[in-house]
Amino acid sequence: MTPPDPPQLFGAIVGSDAWPILRIGLQGAFFLTLVYLIKLGFDLRGLTELRHLGRSKRSFRIFFIALTILFSCVLLYQATWQLTGLFRPQFLAFMQTYDRRQFNPAHRIRRGRILDRRGEVLAFSERRGDQVFRRYPYGPAFAHVVGYSDAKFGTSGLEAAANAHLNGATVDSLPAWGELGHRLLTRDRNPRGQDLALTLDTELQLLAAQRLDGKRGAVVLLDPRDGAVRVLVSTPAFDPNRISAGLFRTSQPETPLLNRATQGLYPPGSTFKILTAALAVEKGFKGTLPCPADGYATSSRYRKIRDHEYYAARRSGRVWKGHGNLGLATALAKSSNVFFAQLGVGYGHAAFSRNLERFRFNRRIDLYRSPYGAWTMNTGRIPEIATSDQYGLAQASIGQGKILVTPAHMALIVAAVANRGLAMGPRLVATDPPVRLARFMSAAGARRLAGMLRKVVTQGTGRSIDGEGPPIAGKTGTAQNPQGAAHSWFVGFAPANRPALAVAVMVEHGGYGSKTAAPIARDLLVRAHALGALQ
Amino acid sequence: MWELRRPERQLLAGCLLLVALGFLMVLGSGQAAGRRLGLLDLLPLLTYAASLLVIHLTLVLFQFRGDQMLPVVAAFLSGLGLLAQYRLGAFEGADRWANVRFIFPGGVLVMLAVCIAGMRGRYRRLAAWPWVWAGLSLVLLAGVLITGQRFRGAVYALGFITPTELLKITVLLFLAGLIDRDAKALGNWGHPWPVPPWLIPPFGALLPLLGFWALLAGLLLLQRDLGMFIILSVALLVLLVAGTARWGYLVYGILAATGVGYLMLTLFAHGQRRIQAWQAPFDDPTGTGWQILQGLSGMYSGGLWGEGFGRGNPEYTPIAESDFIYSVIGEELGFFGCAAVVVFYLILFARGLRIAGRTGPPFGMLLGLGLTTVTATQTFLNIGGVTKFIPLTGITLPFISQGGSSLLVAFFTLGLILAISDGEVAKTRPQQDKPKRRRGRADA
Repeated sequence: MTPPDPPQLFGAIVGSDAWPILRIGLQGAFFLTLVYLIKLGFDLRGLTELRHLGRSKRSFRIFFIALTILFSCVLLYQATWQLTGLFRPQFLAFMQTYDRRQFNPAHRIRRGRILDRRGEVLAFSERRGDQVFRRYPYGPAFAHVVGYSDAKFGTSGLEAAANAHLNGATVDSLPAWGELGHRLLTRDRNPRGQDLALTLDTELQLLAAQRLDGKRGAVVLLDPRDGAVRVLVSTPAFDPNRISAGLFRTSQPETPLLNRATQGLYPPGSTFKILTAALAVEKGFKGTLPCPADGYATSSRYRKIRDHEYYAARRSGRVWKGHGNLGLATALAKSSNVFFAQLGVGYGHAAFSRNLERFRFNRRIDLYRSPYGAWTMNTGRIPEIATSDQYGLAQASIGQGKILVTPAHMALIVAAVANRGLAMGPRLVATDPPVRLARFMSAAGARRLAGMLRKVVTQGTGRSIDGEGPPIAGKTGTAQNPQGAAHSWFVGFAPANRPALAVAVMVEHGGYGSKTAAPIARDLLVRAHALGALQ
Repeated sequence: MWELRRPERQLLAGCLLLVALGFLMVLGSGQAAGRRLGLLDLLPLLTYAASLLVIHLTLVLFQFRGDQMLPVVAAFLSGLGLLAQYRLGAFEGADRWANVRFIFPGGVLVMLAVCIAGMRGRYRRLAAWPWVWAGLSLVLLAGVLITGQRFRGAVYALGFITPTELLKITVLLFLAGLIDRDAKALGNWGHPWPVPPWLIPPFGALLPLLGFWALLAGLLLLQRDLGMFIILSVALLVLLVAGTARWGYLVYGILAATGVGYLMLTLFAHGQRRIQAWQAPFDDPTGTGWQILQGLSGMYSGGLWGEGFGRGNPEYTPIAESDFIYSVIGEELGFFGCAAVVVFYLILFARGLRIAGRTGPPFGMLLGLGLTTVTATQTFLNIGGVTKFIPLTGITLPFISQGGSSLLVAFFTLGLILAISDGEVAKTRPQQDKPKRRRGRADA
């Protein structure tokens, strides 16, 4: 054999350690030659003129300019995929799921962690072999807020809404742009996303999840002063570490994917009397209304609306005398259906629906929003009540009938009462600035109503949770529903004099509000007090 | 002549160097992937080098005066195509090498033959009987429809050769000839009605053309070859406007295109699926959206610089070698590689349009413009489709995509444009070159 066999020599070069560098050198030379070729063609354009054809007879310059613009647009559009595909969350998810190219940077992105307000890790990415997995240390407790990020099933919750941020694709500052440019130029193989710090409080969230364990219900706890959500629990939940196809079967009665706190619509029961009372307070209601034991009827054709004491007395075979004349504060403390039904009917349909409009019914509110998705809550739903339907209005005034609310909306309402009538936009991400959502009530009216809510706990239906710990104000609710036992509600805030937390607890078919929901709310507020969260 | 064609020589040498570098990268990656190399693996590069040499020497030998950039652009684009084909075939067995061994040299020979045969104004004899070309086109289409087989929703003749590609030439010859002959009648708008002349096109003169077009459209749509129909229709409009200087044709053309497009969408499930895949690929990512999204994933994976030739995984993109070759380039040479390809295409169009603009005989002008339009439309449909800018039409990329007929027709087209660029025989025999050149300089 002749000494240097070219294929062998080439093989030796490729096999050597220098090959990766050599390869990059080759590629560089390739691009340099390309640029040189274009430049050469440009330089030689004078020599390649077609002189023998004579002068130009027709000019197709416009046509050529149109072609140039068209192809530039194609290239620009191509760049939005090829270079900044990171900003297309669906595209990124597709690549992470289906693309088998091992060099695709999409596979290597270490998503940022999701943290609670104290830096506790709620979600993080773990590399195993060549793949990156997402882990959730607290399992189902944060499932509805944080959501899941799964190779097969995609993303949900904040994992979906903040996908771009977690993937490191929100370039909102100059250094971030520099980082992106650097990544593009150097072909960084291990891009790292940005962390996302939430407003949630892990201790309280875990306590709420534990208290709701085995029940169907929801707890929302937020700071009325700046809208920061501290607890957002919905049970039953799912384990984001183990997503399976069975989870998405819609026939499950538990519907673990449903976020009951923000999407679940329930009759509010007596907690709605806060809104009717707000209407009265704003209208300057003074004096009393007669509340006979026999109840109140809008017309003889309808059933009478009566107080729960009437039914309790009848069940035990006694006769109840009735409340007599009630003022607003006492009626709220005693949760008198007769009083609030009369009150609502008295103000009429127009004032009633204007009031609900003020409290932002029939809306959708973003708790987190990015250009790539939003994490939203629904507010209550109230269909139009016909002006002739006095009974419907009476029912609505006591939180029954056609009125439906979400637990998150009730928390927002009671937070606005605690914050002198001003509702702060609820938010989940710590770095989002507090924003005013809307003024639900006048400051004076809200202060008056807040005092009445304190009286509910000291003297009224919420007496059972008054005691040691921070002074709590609030309202119980026992919502009749056609599906079974009443839903148990408690909404309120603490400390009553300087509110720092607002709470809404709802337990499906939990019975009396004072028995099931109110103790959960109290335990949460007591623990928050112990943690110093009521400062 | 040797001296006159020096720029072509230099640029072709540049192309050769570029392709050699790319070839080294491909070979190196193949070797790194564990493939045994032999001296035979140098064959594609040698074939390429020989082809460039033949192009240049033939053009010099036959005293060809025409364009020098077009052969270079073709050499660059097909060189890139060769690399991509070779690189895709390198891991999949030998049968895809057909492109490298036969079709590319064959295409070069076709181009040279057409060019030599048509130069010195001889190409104008093709204008003699336009309707012969029309008849030939229809026969071709009908023949394919009778004998062909269905594949991927379109009709192909035996062995996946697509003779309908030839329509790009026959129909264009017909159009250029007919519009050249009837230019006056076709430009006579508004007659005999007493209305503004921009309102009523000359139906009498248009009727045969429209009749032929209806037949053509019917046959093409039967084959579901929507891409070809678009390409030819765009050429028809451009030639009508350029041949008669009546912009009204464009207006009516756009109106007709809207109507036809709407009809297509409502009548054909095939078209609807493509629109669906284009508008909402993420609705069905593993079905209708799969192809386009895999192509885009490849490009994203390539980023700005690309993986390097031979290092990507274009085998994950369906039909990467033909329709999606652009995304392979995007994956391996990155955004810069794609931009370079687009620049070269734009040079191609610019030269084609310039030649058309400088050609004296209207037939030559129309033919050059038409062929350039066809190439440009085809390029746009392909690149636009692959990048999800427009819906996919299943069209190949001229000079780069695999596919014998497509490549041969692209070279045939280029040969015709080159022949046009050679100009006419000068009236005075002795020393024809010098005075002409001097006059050109004085004009410029």
